[in-house]
Amino acid sequence: MTNMVRRTALAAAAAMALLVGVHGAQAAGPEIVEGPGYLPECFAPWDADTKFMKWEAKEGPYRIALVNGFVGNTWRIQMIQTAKVYAESPGIKEKIKEFKIVSTGTDAAAQLGAIEDFINQGFDAIVTIAVSPEGFDRVIRLADRNGVVIVPFDNTLDTDKVMQVNEDQYQMGKMSGEFLVKEMGKTSGKILEVRGVPGNSVDRDRHQGLRDALEAAGDFEVVEIVGNWDTGTSQKATADALAVHGRFDGIFTQGGSDGTVRALMDAGHPFVPIAGEGENGFRKQIAQHAKDGLKGLSYGQSPGLAAISIKAAIAALEGNTMPQMISVPIPVADYTNLKDGENYWSDLTDNFFTPNEFPPCDVNIKAVDIMAKTAENVE
Amino acid sequence: MNDLRLRLGQNLGLLLAIGLFLLFWLVYNGLHPKGFSTAVLIQNANESFVIGAVAMAQTVPVLAGGLDLSVGAVMTLVNCLASVLVNGSGWQMVLGILVCLAAGTLAGWVNGAVVVYGRIQPIIATLATGAVYIGIALFIRPTPGGEVDGDLSWALTNDVYEFCATYGLFDDGEAAWLAPFAWIPMPMAIMLLVIFLIWIPFRNSVTGRGVYAIGSSEGAAYMSGVRIDRCKIAAFTLAGFFAGLGGLYLALQTSSGNADVPQAGAYTLNSIAAVVIGGTSLMGGSGGAICSLIGAMVIRAISFNFRIFDIAPLLQPLFEGIVLLGAVSIGAARVFRVKNRLELLG
Repeated sequence: MTNMVRRTALAAAAAMALLVGVHGAQAAGPEIVEGPGYLPECFAPWDADTKFMKWEAKEGPYRIALVNGFVGNTWRIQMIQTAKVYAESPGIKEKIKEFKIVSTGTDAAAQLGAIEDFINQGFDAIVTIAVSPEGFDRVIRLADRNGVVIVPFDNTLDTDKVMQVNEDQYQMGKMSGEFLVKEMGKTSGKILEVRGVPGNSVDRDRHQGLRDALEAAGDFEVVEIVGNWDTGTSQKATADALAVHGRFDGIFTQGGSDGTVRALMDAGHPFVPIAGEGENGFRKQIAQHAKDGLKGLSYGQSPGLAAISIKAAIAALEGNTMPQMISVPIPVADYTNLKDGENYWSDLTDNFFTPNEFPPCDVNIKAVDIMAKTAENVE
Repeated sequence: MNDLRLRLGQNLGLLLAIGLFLLFWLVYNGLHPKGFSTAVLIQNANESFVIGAVAMAQTVPVLAGGLDLSVGAVMTLVNCLASVLVNGSGWQMVLGILVCLAAGTLAGWVNGAVVVYGRIQPIIATLATGAVYIGIALFIRPTPGGEVDGDLSWALTNDVYEFCATYGLFDDGEAAWLAPFAWIPMPMAIMLLVIFLIWIPFRNSVTGRGVYAIGSSEGAAYMSGVRIDRCKIAAFTLAGFFAGLGGLYLALQTSSGNADVPQAGAYTLNSIAAVVIGGTSLMGGSGGAICSLIGAMVIRAISFNFRIFDIAPLLQPLFEGIVLLGAVSIGAARVFRVKNRLELLG
């Protein structure tokens, strides 16, 4: 034990000596402090046990990098566009000297390499969607030494050593379950659950939330199928389930929600209460068919999380006290408050994610603005 | 003089790959705020090691004329295994590392045995065994996680100096004779050891030359008395070892294991690209593991530049693809220069 401590101390001392030689400046990473944190209406702590962190304040403007993993679905593209537009919006633009985006694909070595590279380049903050919930120890160690703030969001890390930003996935499942029970108006029945990509923590948490809500409310039979958060897959799986099981009293779909509804319509299944994601197509369907019984709830894992993460990174660099795990309020709408041109757009395509803006965080980039000028943003 | 020209001519693909690598890497370092420093070199070497090892793995079966679609899967399998085994006391770790490398080698041997004794096309055989290996990896590690010794992981992903300092070797790395080597990143040192202790002896052995002979012309090799079965099995076994080495290093780098199926697929595809860029013929018989290592470094060096230049994020894959396509096309351009198409077969 002492040997290990000695070795670690030696390694740390040697590394420090090396880093002083190479980099000059020194920093030790965030301090754990008492709350409350900065701007709590936007940066809400996850729960009562969430720690608070404080970095040494740095002079702006800052250099910030976004290290994305997989790219190639609408959500990720919308996320990148949102980040770009946000970094150039007034109030933020002045605080950012340089903003870089790279996508490394589903390759852990490349993503870790890119993060380390940006640390070497002297960037002040790195926001990232982690390709794996584990494995970032080395870059976190390097970031702390160099006073760099790393902010994982969406797919977060299983660690409490960095500041992270996400929406509460468990809560999404739970509110969906409660909504279904309320709209069905009974305490038993058959429910179809369309799940997401297997093995993912988001899928696990939403599923658990739904099940807990249903179990608390009564005695429901749940049929589970896998839709991979993809419109086509979800449509096909739903069609199969309808063919086998006949009739459901309520539906929960994690994503590709418009596909689920389309399968329902194709099969001639009567409209039933449904809870799902925030695709524009899904909200269009709810608005159109709510009076026929498609009473829908639409929550959204927002691509705007990228913008909030950038804002959180800047706040941390300015020396504010921040929660270690930031819970962003879930943007949610149901059939009673859907409004064309406000939280869905009947004249636009189905496949973008409607919830994009977060007024409490001063993130006011509407999905429609971004997806409308996609072409010019790619230039 | 003629001898030199002949040798250069035979290694045109490799020279081209080295040129491309230097171009991208020097531009990157030149514009990097900390260009040509140890920190950047360590980062580059860390990022390139796994793909380099997997590319070397792909090379050996390709030299014998067959593709190995299971290299990414073997890498992932060993990665998951290492996240369970490589921790605890010193001896446990050494044993864990040996078991990991042995597991990779065994997986490769199974590939070879299926191809040779099952008489199945390598591309189909390894597609199937790859699925099996991914299955085992998922069984070992259904969710990402595990633990790899933190000290070992830190020591092997830094430079030689840091390695010695961590383990108190050679006056904590301060020994005067060590100074000229202290800056070398550990992944680079390991790769050099593997090349000199394993790849070059293999290439010069009778079995190794047999692999090249099979790739050139299996019939001729058979008539010349090359032991075809043994050489083929050896080629796949060595591939398993290299892929296992990559998986082990990935575990050290991430201090965890992850049975990530898309990642395994991406590594397999990139390994084939690296082989082609390095100048190894997909028909077999010419090229080598070092060429593919350079090819892998070219792939990495292209993406290094995305972090320096302002290239629109959604155009980066397109740009990378165009550069790779260009690199491969230049390598294939010698087709236009030959006077007699039969020469291509020689």
